[in-house]
Amino acid sequence: MGKLALDAQADTGGHDHSNHSHTRVPASHVQGAIGHAAMVGDEAPAVGGPNDLDALLYPPLALPYEPGRVREYTLTATDVELEVAPGVFFPAWVYNGTAPGPVIRATEGDTLRVRFVNAGQHPHTIHFHGIHPTKMDGVFEIVDVGGEFTYEFEARPAGFHLYHCHATPLKKHIQKGLYGAFIIDPEEPRSAAKELVMVMNGFDTDGDGENNFYTVNGRSFYYARYPIRVKRSELVRVYLANLTELDLINSFHLHADFFRYQPTGTGESWEYTDTVMQCQGQRGVLEIQFAGTGLHMFHAHQSEFAELGWMGFFEVVD
Amino acid sequence: MEAGSATARGHMGWRLWALVPVLLLALAVGVVVTSGSALVDLVGTNPPPADEFDIRRVEFSPAEIRITVRNPQPDDLTIANVNVDDAIVPFTVDGPTTLGRLRSSTIVVPYDWVPDDPITVGVTSSTGIQTVKEIPAATETPVPSVSGFFGYAVIGALVGILPVALGLLWLPALRQASGAWLSAFMALTAGLLAFLGVSALAEAFELQAALPSALGGTGLVLLGVALSFLGMTALAGRLSGGSAATGLALALLVAIGIGLHNLGEGLAIGASFALGELQLGTFLIVGFMIHNVTEGLGIATPLAKTRVTILTLVGLALVAGAPTILGAWIGGYASSDVLGALFFAIAAGAAFQVVVEVGRYVARNAPGGLRSGYAIGGFLAGLTAMYLTGILAG
Repeated sequence: MGKLALDAQADTGGHDHSNHSHTRVPASHVQGAIGHAAMVGDEAPAVGGPNDLDALLYPPLALPYEPGRVREYTLTATDVELEVAPGVFFPAWVYNGTAPGPVIRATEGDTLRVRFVNAGQHPHTIHFHGIHPTKMDGVFEIVDVGGEFTYEFEARPAGFHLYHCHATPLKKHIQKGLYGAFIIDPEEPRSAAKELVMVMNGFDTDGDGENNFYTVNGRSFYYARYPIRVKRSELVRVYLANLTELDLINSFHLHADFFRYQPTGTGESWEYTDTVMQCQGQRGVLEIQFAGTGLHMFHAHQSEFAELGWMGFFEVVD
Repeated sequence: MEAGSATARGHMGWRLWALVPVLLLALAVGVVVTSGSALVDLVGTNPPPADEFDIRRVEFSPAEIRITVRNPQPDDLTIANVNVDDAIVPFTVDGPTTLGRLRSSTIVVPYDWVPDDPITVGVTSSTGIQTVKEIPAATETPVPSVSGFFGYAVIGALVGILPVALGLLWLPALRQASGAWLSAFMALTAGLLAFLGVSALAEAFELQAALPSALGGTGLVLLGVALSFLGMTALAGRLSGGSAATGLALALLVAIGIGLHNLGEGLAIGASFALGELQLGTFLIVGFMIHNVTEGLGIATPLAKTRVTILTLVGLALVAGAPTILGAWIGGYASSDVLGALFFAIAAGAAFQVVVEVGRYVARNAPGGLRSGYAIGGFLAGLTAMYLTGILAG
């Protein structure tokens, strides 16, 4: 975290690296520093190591349009204990071991073949958003424990979508962690960018009907502890989805800059803003061209969610 | 000699045989313990543990909150996450992070809390269960200080010693009263002690009910009541040389009974104030003063026919009133619900024992005994007086 400390120093105008380097004292332990605007680096209570969530944050690369191509994925539902905050374990139901599950990506026109294996303790399905035959909708073909089902359909329309379990009770199956991001790239590719996926969610660890922790990609305060490193010169594209259960809406707010927002990742209508709101199941594509370097905070603009774990940083470097 | 040693062997044998059930019990316990869950599996599965903490105390000092938690369940419980007002906060733990049964730790949270605002603290276990405690108004927790000690002493003296001393000044008037009226006043004393006993008992039950089931229980209260009742019985026997207590001995018993009650009362005042649950205003202090003045009357009445020095009276006032100060100190700086429940149970037992002593006195001295109008009227007047003045202190 020494590197981070140096950048934070640089931001406040101090370039004297010799004094403060490599010994970051959490702000809460510094006399008079109580009420620090945010926990960052070592003092942010997050689970795991620096690259643990890379598979969820960085989507598979977009493939150029190619008629007749088949994209195959296998998703396995299991019951696991997820550590969602340091030392706090949530008995989750997940696709491929994490909540959110893996990012599924295809190009418009690809045939998508998703083999679903239910290795959990309850009947599950996968319901994809998008245009497909109703018998591939993951609503009528409940996959029993130990069973499997292969969903096959053409990937369309281009945009940013989701998938989630649609077995009943629906609220329980989603709240437990059975959901993920689903990108369909347009025939005409998007411009080159550093691409990120952020799935907003929450965990009601004590079952009282209220979320105890809010996260992006499954671990509270993870990107506060391990800021996402991006270059100032590159375009940053964030696929942002809301799969929070129990709360009607969630939001994304960027500090110290603005971004363009394309709802659902479809159409020509872009909004220029620093805050977007998404209902449960809503999603969209953000494009950010950072004007400056340093730590740019991002978080839900519901302060409660931010202080319960949904907060992080972009570390913008030259 | 032969017979003597045979008897001794017989005694030894009796003691050895008495050990047999104990040893067999130990064996049976060993078998059950080593069988693990096999026994429970025969009838079903156990529900998961509640994994809730017992948040015992929340203390506020400048820019810091200290939360003392206890594990009330048989399984270990681990402190994993701490929230203040629904926000995750950094914290350190003073003591073990994983708590065994009935073990406690103090969580230290650097936090810029707002005085007088309600505040909620939450402690989450490793299984994600959050235990929440709401504090109606955050106020700085008093720390032991000279002025604090002095303050509690003054308040304790005002609500404990002063009213008792004033009540004792009824003594000259009582000396003029007829025997029948004296009996009525003694019955009144019994009434007020019965009132104090019942209120202390209710308080003890209320406190034990809030305790984790392992520490609480009516047994704790019964133990306290029995302990003090029997202790007071022994004391009464010693003071009066075996016969029924009269005069100074009876007055002393009444003073002790009242004193033990006032210890609990002081404890309640100190603890409630320290925890920010009580506004220690003029009205409350005045209420307690009026409520407690009748206690002095109770101590003075047995002395109506006895010559006593001023020093003796001062001593009696201190026995009855000074425990309020001690209670306020304990409650203000080291409140413990277990101690509170036990103190109130002890107060109840003592009060009930003194009711018995006073009752004996009235039965012997009242014209017509316990059935006389003086006795019945006095007793009811005592209850009524305590009830009505109690409204002021409530």
